[in-house]
Amino acid sequence: MNWWLAAACVLVVGGLGPCLWGAARGTAGRRVVAQNMATLLLCLVFLLLAQGYGRPSYADLALVVAVLGPAGTLVFTRLLGDETGARPPGTRLLTPAVLIGAPATVVPMCIAAGPGRATIKLIFIGVLLIAGGAVTSWAVRRG
Amino acid sequence: MTRRVRLWVLAAGLLATAALYAAACTQLPGFGGSWHPYGDRAVRAALQQRTANTVSSVNFDLRAFDTLGEESVLFASVLGTVVLLRRTRDEKRVAPEPVRVPAALRRYGRLMLPVTLLIGLYVIAHGQLSPGGGFQGGVVAATSLHLLYIAVDYPALERFRPLGLYELADGAGEAAYVLLGAAGLIAGSAYLANVLPLGTFNTLSSGGTVPLLNAAVGIEVTSAVVVLLAHFLAQALEIEGEREEDRSA
Amino acid sequence: MDDALVVAVLVLVAAAATAAVLQRDPARQAIVLSLLGLALAVLFTVLQAPDVGLAQLAVGSAVTPLMILLTVRKVRQRKGRPK
Repeated sequence: MNWWLAAACVLVVGGLGPCLWGAARGTAGRRVVAQNMATLLLCLVFLLLAQGYGRPSYADLALVVAVLGPAGTLVFTRLLGDETGARPPGTRLLTPAVLIGAPATVVPMCIAAGPGRATIKLIFIGVLLIAGGAVTSWAVRRG
Repeated sequence: MTRRVRLWVLAAGLLATAALYAAACTQLPGFGGSWHPYGDRAVRAALQQRTANTVSSVNFDLRAFDTLGEESVLFASVLGTVVLLRRTRDEKRVAPEPVRVPAALRRYGRLMLPVTLLIGLYVIAHGQLSPGGGFQGGVVAATSLHLLYIAVDYPALERFRPLGLYELADGAGEAAYVLLGAAGLIAGSAYLANVLPLGTFNTLSSGGTVPLLNAAVGIEVTSAVVVLLAHFLAQALEIEGEREEDRSA
Repeated sequence: MDDALVVAVLVLVAAAATAAVLQRDPARQAIVLSLLGLALAVLFTVLQAPDVGLAQLAVGSAVTPLMILLTVRKVRQRKGRPK
C-alpha cells in the first residue's frame, strides 16, 4: 500500500464513517449536511484511489462526483424543504472542509502528475468541487 | 397444487440451489489471487478488438447480445412506468405552486447544466477507452437536465424538455442498437458481430462498433431517465386525483 | 496491506446498509440510501471495477433520491388531503 491509498483509507474510515453516523440519526438538516460532506470527501477519495492505483482514468469517477454530488444534495434541500431547517448542526464544517481538502488533495496530485492534460483535468475537478461545495453549503445553511 | 405441496417444491428448489451454489463456491479461485481464467481471455479478446476498456469490449462486443437484453429491460420498465403513471380520466392537472429559488442557486444551476451535460457526453464517448459508457454517461446527461428543476424551477425544466422528442429518442436508441446488430448479420457473420474497421488502439474511433453501440445506449438511457423522471415529477407536482377523494369521502 | 482498504470499505458498506434498513421515515431513509450508494461506488472501485462504480454513482447520487423524494411527496399529498 502506498501513501495515496493510505490517505484514501484514512478518509474512508475517519471521514465517510462519521458522515454515515451523522446521516443515520438526528434531524433531517443534520443528515443532509452529513450527505453533503460525504460527497465532498468521496470526490477526494476517488482522486486518491486513481493516484494510488496508478490509473489516471479512475479520476473520471471524481469528475462525476464533483458534479452529481452537489446535485444530489440540492435534491434533498429542494424536496425536504422546511424539514431541514436553517443552520443545521455541522454546517460550519462544510466550507473549511472543501476549501482545505480540495487543494490539499489536488495540489500534491498535480505535482505528482507533472504538467499536461492530466493536471488540467485535476484542476478542473478541484474547481468543480470547490464551486459545488460552496453552493451546497450555502443552500444547506439557508435550509 | 395445495399449499403444502407448493412449499415442498419451494424447499426442494431452494435446497438444490443452495447445494449447487455451495459446490460452485468451493471451486472459486481465491480472493485477490493472480489466476483469472475469464479475465485473461477477456483482456486478450479486447486487445484483439483494439478496445482499451475491456469492460466495454465485453459489454458491447463479446457479449453485446446480453447488453441488448439489459437495454430492453430499461426500455420496457420505462414503458411500464409511463403507462402506470399516466394521467387518468378522473385526475386533473393543476399548475404547480411557484417556488422561490435564490438567484445564486439559479446561477449555479444554469452554469452547471452545460458542464454536467458535457461530462455525460464525455463519459459516453470515452466508453471504449476509460471507465464509463452509454449507461453511465446517459444517466449523467439526464441528471444535468434536471438541474433545471433542482436549482432553477419546474417551468424552466418544462420549457427545455420537449417530452415527445425524448420519447421518440428513447425508441430510436433502442432501435439503433437492434439495427446495428442486424448490420453484423447483413455483413455476413453473426448478429451484433463487430464488423466495422477496428481503428487505432486507444483512440476515440477504436473498437469498431463499440462506440456506436455505446452511443445508441447513451441516447436510449438519457431519454429513458428523462421520460421516467418527467412522469414522476408530473405525478408529484401537477397531477391531483379528484374522484378518489369523493369515493373515500 | 491493500486488503485493509477493502476491509474498511466493506465494513462501511455493511454499516450503511444496516443503517438504511433501520430507518423508519422514507425521506430520511433516502439520505442514508444515497450514502450507501456512495460507499458501494468506493467498494467497486477498490475491487478494481470502476465501470460498475461509475454506474452506481450515476444512478445513486441524484436520480434515485429524486425519484424516492418525489414519490414520498406524492404519497404524503394523498394522505394529507382533507377527508
